[in-house]
Amino acid sequence: MGLSGPPSDHYEALGLGPGATQDEIERAFRFLEGLYAEGALATYSLLEPDEASEARARVRAAYEALADPVRRQAYDAERRPPAGPETAPGPDDVAGVAAAAPAVEDAPQAIPPALPVPAGPVAGALPEPPVPRPAPAAPAAPLHVASHAHPRDRVVPLLLPEPVTGPTLRRFREERGVTLAEISTRTKIGVRFLEYLEADRHSDLPALVYLKGFLAEYARCLGLDVKRTVDSYLSRVRS
Amino acid sequence: MTTAAPADHTTAAAVVAVPRSRRQIWSLGGGKGGIGKSLLAASLGYQLARTGRRVVLVDADLGGSNLHTCLGLEMPALTLGDFLQRRVEQIEDVLVETGVPGLRLVSGASDFLAAANIKHVQKVRILNRLRALDVDVVLLDLGAGSSFNIIDFFLISDVSLLTVIPEPTSIENSYRFIKSALYRRLRGVAGNEAVRQLIDSALDAKNEAGIRTPIDLLRVVAERHPDAEEALRREVAAFHPRFVVNQVRDEADQRVGHQLVAACARHLGVRASYAGYVPYEDAVWRAVRRRRLFMADAAESRAADHIRRLTGALLQGETLPLPWA
Ligand SMILES: Nc1ncnc2c1ncn2[C@@H]1O[C@H](COP(=O)(O)OP(=O)(O)OP(=O)(O)O)[C@@H](O)[C@H]1O
Ligand SMILES: [Mg+2]
Repeated sequence: MGLSGPPSDHYEALGLGPGATQDEIERAFRFLEGLYAEGALATYSLLEPDEASEARARVRAAYEALADPVRRQAYDAERRPPAGPETAPGPDDVAGVAAAAPAVEDAPQAIPPALPVPAGPVAGALPEPPVPRPAPAAPAAPLHVASHAHPRDRVVPLLLPEPVTGPTLRRFREERGVTLAEISTRTKIGVRFLEYLEADRHSDLPALVYLKGFLAEYARCLGLDVKRTVDSYLSRVRS
Repeated sequence: MTTAAPADHTTAAAVVAVPRSRRQIWSLGGGKGGIGKSLLAASLGYQLARTGRRVVLVDADLGGSNLHTCLGLEMPALTLGDFLQRRVEQIEDVLVETGVPGLRLVSGASDFLAAANIKHVQKVRILNRLRALDVDVVLLDLGAGSSFNIIDFFLISDVSLLTVIPEPTSIENSYRFIKSALYRRLRGVAGNEAVRQLIDSALDAKNEAGIRTPIDLLRVVAERHPDAEEALRREVAAFHPRFVVNQVRDEADQRVGHQLVAACARHLGVRASYAGYVPYEDAVWRAVRRRRLFMADAAESRAADHIRRLTGALLQGETLPLPWA
């Protein structure tokens, strides 16, 4: 490998291009000193002790030749008789890819730009503003996943422990960091009704037929089993 | 190799709305156990879903699946094991809701024996079905180790993430993981048996040709089998693992990611990148211990903030700038 090859170029040894600033030389040296320090985390298992000390010596020699502008000028003059302009390395070269890696042409594949996001409060920017959260409650009983698939959509829904109450729904939602505003956007149900629903304010909720629809939408939004959620919640509304 | 496998036409996939090119497979490997792969997978999946992507998390840790726990769920009744054993036909049958809009889970096999002996055709079947899912991102949580089962999932991914923690054992294992993965990839384009044998021998520390790194391997191939060199070089160049450093406690830990990238380039000839880091925080294990979804449980923690940044960077294909850049 490269270490036992011919004496290397000082710029290469520091993973820099010939156009590097004095500051870059300084910082690259500090970084590489750490990289090759005795027992250093990232190299101790890759290099034999003599290889590591050889690498240290090379980096130090390069630094000594380049850190002082006068010595650097002399080195530059001797290194390369005037020729065509050399291209400055990209940021990846700085890590030493150019110096040691076999021909690596393609840049790391960039991931396509962000995918389309639905309208609504969740869409878009990182980071989301932190939402003040209620004090954590006691450990939650983990949720059971239903054993049958929803007929309309094959994905297996979740089951909340019975009985499903407003507060259990609220806790389930909050544990997933989903806001009422978001559910409202997705379901077109007013936030106020969602609040009543989660507070078990049954007398403030709309007529049963509407309530059933609201509950179904709410459950679907959170991946809950629609029928079981609606039935369980309504059994308490009726009684 | 698995990537070239023909599409599985028995798939009764739902109507495909997302162009295939848009769909991505991301995977999280790491070579070592207990370093936060599952925690990071759940957290990245959560964040992708919270920013509007349709995500399927797959617990591909077939022997020790526990991704459901990171999501606050019990082990689902149906898992990848049922799909592998053909107790269900469709991968959709083992897809479960997580309660987070847009985020769904395929749980790992609960059947340990079935998982331990997963065959190549089964892997191909899983991968084809996953690729056919109508979602934006499929995120694979890989198990510990560098076995073929794990590496093959890592290699077919569009984004291959390597989790490390700033500890010697983790870093040693991640180098082993990188070499194993790369050699497996090279094996696929070796062309002839002699080159294949050379590649296989490279993982043996006392191999006759004195090959210790991919750089050595390429040199020996160039000497002995010049015809095969070009194809191998191309594979090496296309191999691009991305490091995520987890459990960072100070600035030196943070720098480890850059050091890994530099060491990979200089001494393995591998072009890796540093995608981001996540600080060590009590809030993380506290959430895990209470079986809560960390990202929602401690949304305002620094670790959660770093995961949001990491997700954004991965979507943009950005990497952490070098210390002096
Ligand atoms: N950033 C962090 N800060 C604090 N604790 C963490 C952090 N990341 C992970 N942990 C702790 O490490 C434990 C192991 O994490 P996790 O289960 O995700 O690891 P893993 O790599 O998936 O393990 P396995 O190989 O066994 O699947 C977690 O339970 C959590 O307590
Ligand atoms: Mg795990």
